[in-house]
Amino acid sequence: MELADRAVGFLLSVTSLSIFTYYTFWVIILPFVDDDHFVHKYFLPQEYAILIPVSAGVTLLCFLSIFVGVVMLKSKRKKA
Amino acid sequence: MKHIVKILALVVAITVLWIGLLQTSVIPYNHTWLLPIYFVVSLGCYGLLMVGVGLMNFPTCPQEALLLQKDIVEAKEYLKQKGVDLTLN
Repeated sequence: MELADRAVGFLLSVTSLSIFTYYTFWVIILPFVDDDHFVHKYFLPQEYAILIPVSAGVTLLCFLSIFVGVVMLKSKRKKA
Repeated sequence: MKHIVKILALVVAITVLWIGLLQTSVIPYNHTWLLPIYFVVSLGCYGLLMVGVGLMNFPTCPQEALLLQKDIVEAKEYLKQKGVDLTLN
């Protein structure tokens, strides 16, 4: 059990660090690289740098609201 | 109360810096627009990293758990002597 927790923690850290590195490279460094450089092949167009985080945030918010609603419904049913 | 003042000051400072960047247009316009989202993403990454690190070095104390179990048994015996019904329902 403890090992699984440790693995999950390690996975979370690695995921967050890789996302941070990739996004930093994408948003901060890439505008200063020439347009015909080969690095540009590994990145989506700049519009997606806004679209993906915003859609991910909206999805997260939706799931959060659904979860809160389900919990409230459950607690109400228990009381009745 | 002090903490929220600190956080608000930080947010205001970042906003002022961002508006200044927008006005002076040192960096191209559409790249300046990306910066707030970049801040939000890095904040999320920081939170995820902190959760991951906290999970990795989660402190467990097996000796304390044994002591607690002993305490529970002791308390149950004591309550039974006093005539308290301890059956779970």
